[in-house]
Amino acid sequence: MLGEAAQLALNGLMAGTVLAVPAIGFTAIYAVLRFPNFTVASHLTIGAFAGWVANAALGWPAALAVAAAFVVAGVAGVLSDELLLKPLRPAGALTTAIGAVALTILLENALRFVFGNDLRGYDLPIRRDWRLGALRVGPQQVENLAMAVLAMAAVFVFLAFTRMGKAMRAVADNPMLAGIKGIDADRVARLTNFVAMGLAGVGGMLVGLDTSIDPLTGFRVILSVFAAAVVGGLGSIPGAVLGALAIGVGEELSLLVLAPAYRTVVGFAAILVVLTLRPRGLLGERAY
Amino acid sequence: MSQRVSRRTFIAGGGAVLAAGMVPALARGQGGAIRLGTLTPLTGAGGNYGPSMLKAMQWVAGEINAAGGVAGRKVELVSEDDQTNPEAGVRAARKLIDVDKVAAVMGTWASAVTTAVAPLCWESKTFLTTVSGSDTITLLPHQGYLIRTQPNTQLQGKKFADFMVSVGSKRVGILAVQAPFALPTQKIVGEELKRQGGELVAAVVYDKDKTTYRSEIDQVLRAKPDMLYLNGYTPDVTVVLKDLFKAGYTGGKIAQAYAVNQKLLGALPTEVTDGTYTIAPSPSVDSPAYKRLAHALGSDDLDPYSCQTHDHISLVCLAIGHARGDASGTAVKDHVRKISQGGGTRVDSAVDGLKLLAQGKEINFDGASGPCDFNEIGDILDTKFRYERADKGKFTLLKIA
Amino acid sequence: MENYLVAMAVFAGLYALMALGLNVVWGMTGMINLGLVGFFAVGAYVSALLCKRAGAPIALGIAAAAVLAAGAGAAMAITTARLRGDYLAIITLGFSEVVRLVASNELWLTNGTDGISGIPGPWRGRLTPAAFNMLYLGLVAVAVAVTFVVCQRVRHSAYGRVLRAIRDDDQVAAVAGKRVIAFKVQAFAVSAAILGVAGALWGHYTSYIAPEAFVPLVTIYVVLALTAGGTGNNAGAVLGAVLVVFFMEATRFATGWITALGPVQVAALRESLIGAGLLVVLRLRPYGLLPERIVPVAPPR
Repeated sequence: MLGEAAQLALNGLMAGTVLAVPAIGFTAIYAVLRFPNFTVASHLTIGAFAGWVANAALGWPAALAVAAAFVVAGVAGVLSDELLLKPLRPAGALTTAIGAVALTILLENALRFVFGNDLRGYDLPIRRDWRLGALRVGPQQVENLAMAVLAMAAVFVFLAFTRMGKAMRAVADNPMLAGIKGIDADRVARLTNFVAMGLAGVGGMLVGLDTSIDPLTGFRVILSVFAAAVVGGLGSIPGAVLGALAIGVGEELSLLVLAPAYRTVVGFAAILVVLTLRPRGLLGERAY
Repeated sequence: MSQRVSRRTFIAGGGAVLAAGMVPALARGQGGAIRLGTLTPLTGAGGNYGPSMLKAMQWVAGEINAAGGVAGRKVELVSEDDQTNPEAGVRAARKLIDVDKVAAVMGTWASAVTTAVAPLCWESKTFLTTVSGSDTITLLPHQGYLIRTQPNTQLQGKKFADFMVSVGSKRVGILAVQAPFALPTQKIVGEELKRQGGELVAAVVYDKDKTTYRSEIDQVLRAKPDMLYLNGYTPDVTVVLKDLFKAGYTGGKIAQAYAVNQKLLGALPTEVTDGTYTIAPSPSVDSPAYKRLAHALGSDDLDPYSCQTHDHISLVCLAIGHARGDASGTAVKDHVRKISQGGGTRVDSAVDGLKLLAQGKEINFDGASGPCDFNEIGDILDTKFRYERADKGKFTLLKIA
Repeated sequence: MENYLVAMAVFAGLYALMALGLNVVWGMTGMINLGLVGFFAVGAYVSALLCKRAGAPIALGIAAAAVLAAGAGAAMAITTARLRGDYLAIITLGFSEVVRLVASNELWLTNGTDGISGIPGPWRGRLTPAAFNMLYLGLVAVAVAVTFVVCQRVRHSAYGRVLRAIRDDDQVAAVAGKRVIAFKVQAFAVSAAILGVAGALWGHYTSYIAPEAFVPLVTIYVVLALTAGGTGNNAGAVLGAVLVVFFMEATRFATGWITALGPVQVAALRESLIGAGLLVVLRLRPYGLLPERIVPVAPPR
């Protein structure tokens, strides 16, 4: 039983690290633009397919394909926001959120139109898992972990040390003050969308690298992404990372008692628990 | 004022679109063409078989019409795609039954689709012919409006268990997709194994839409099986085989031939698929009906489903012929066993059978899929099976028995 | 063909019911509910199971559907009543997914992804399909009419004014002494009950329900119906639903002419039209066709 739990915890840490990538994106948009952007789901899928085209159709190695996933999803994020969601913002956060759900359906079906419903795998060798004592871990999982950590490190460096990163944090903290200081809110919004949706795209590809992808890839993990962001505190990026690890491990450990199909219920339950007991999450500040 | 105008135009515009799009009502002819519906998986998990199942039926209809039709009436096929999805199947069946008013719906493949569509058929007295194998289907209260040409789960489960024991398996695990056959198969395989000295050590039912089955596989492997029965469809079995390889499983694997087919072998590396056994009900490869169909469809190795649908439409048309052209579901129900079994002249083609019927003779149709003899609840009485193994990306035939 | 049109009218009626339900929480109380299909599913399963497994009469099934859906709605609302709308959006979206998961996996209860077939319908076996369709259309029309009248009465009542006050600024409403939480939970429960009834009616009509049918796309249909018809306006809810259903069915015929596309692509195209439609409406005419007409109340002298 202990051995099983240890294996599950290990799986959970790896899954959670990958989950953190899109969770950061979701929470960043919430922090800067102040609405839950549900289109993260379809951008996860866009990234997964962009990476697939790069890898399986064009023959690029995995790491390069991940970069492609970032760029394509990021550009898609900026475009879709500029053209379709930004005009809705004056009508309020809830209207924009509804628009985001409509948009995610539109984007997902656009992908379905082009690629169909079949599962596709990346063009990578299928390798046997490594064994460390009683535990087993897949080489692909380890690679995914490395790429996720790299992505997160890049985000932290960006936010802490670059001018645009600091501008983003300023707008998230206090938009009025940031405006007075001369920070262009529109530019910050665009950049936030690019980075956040790019991260979602990377997350989508990482999820698919170990398994397969189809138009529903993003939709399947979205509840876990929300849960990670909410548990960590909506709007807090370090919170999103912590939340993602917690959700990742929680979902895997739940297999000790629940059927595998119910993993997303864990995310949902986590959201309910957090909102009832500590609405601002682990590291967040505002829930009201 | 302008606001009201724009609203009216909006509504009027919408109405115009609808009116323009409406299909004119179909002519309803008594004594006109005989309308039969086909409902096969042209897309989805069964998408490999649907198109050729349809072609087989279209060929038979063509042959019958060329020879003068059934009791002087031409056969008209209305074809729909069930997308291997019960939801879509129900909507398509509704259209076939309510709008096209077909006498029979032929060719449903997935057990879930058949189970969903069956009540619509028997309630509207439309005859349903299916290739689905799940036991639960013939046990539905269909009042005789359903026959199937596929051996049921009982028969299949027994053959699988027999074979697994014959290759030396002692500890068997089943990984099944959620479908009506999942639990009945588990039960039957478990019982048969026990009777023959083996044991069913693990059985997991999984959701068909997942991209990885790592957790389910971990669960099954914990029981240390030496043979795994992969009871799913091609898309999920593909993922299962990959995950089994990653997990380092080196025991035996066996699956239904419709799941582990040539397409799957082409999509996966040979290390992942080598050694997988497959079993399928075998068509009557020696029968004249089979040979004729193979020639017509341009293939030496017909899949069992196309053979079965060839027999479906033949049986339906012969039943209508025996009923002197009464093209209703009830007529098919009442007459199908009179032409499929019994003491009449043996025929293996619908055209020959119709000719004899017109002369007032009795017939016994033997089809491309088998003798086509049905019991009271619509199951076939017997059939042969085909055993194969995947070797280096190709199938090796082990036996037909 | 007439049968087909009648069937479409029945679906339009069911969507009208759902839009009316959404109007209670979104239009009147300002609470977002992105999990509409979850309550719809709860109603469908409760009624189907009671009638098929326990042999209950259909009316009882529908009543039970309303009650259980209302309970689920109240539970959702209580958890998030104090929080911002964003959280309610996330939670309700998650709720509908959880319902679908439970329906897909608790085989002993719901028969899993194979669904429940052969759900009884009123006098189904004894009527011709055409007569059954007409009877059901009548039934749904009555349900819509009753719900419409009730919702209108609520809207014009003091209760409705409180809900509107909560929608416009719940802090002011609280200061005015209204127990905001209680009102919110009640409104959510009523809305969920209406959705549950719609779900039950749908199950008895189609005779077959399966988890695959209960996807967020259905929620978006309803949101589109209400937004296009006029948020806050009950007649708008009904009008919007009729328009959405006819629009969707018209696209079925329209895309039939584009023969170059495969069936998956056609399906994807039709679904994107719904998403695109909602975006267009939100952008160009966010208040819908029929604006909310607030009945003026004489100010206190």
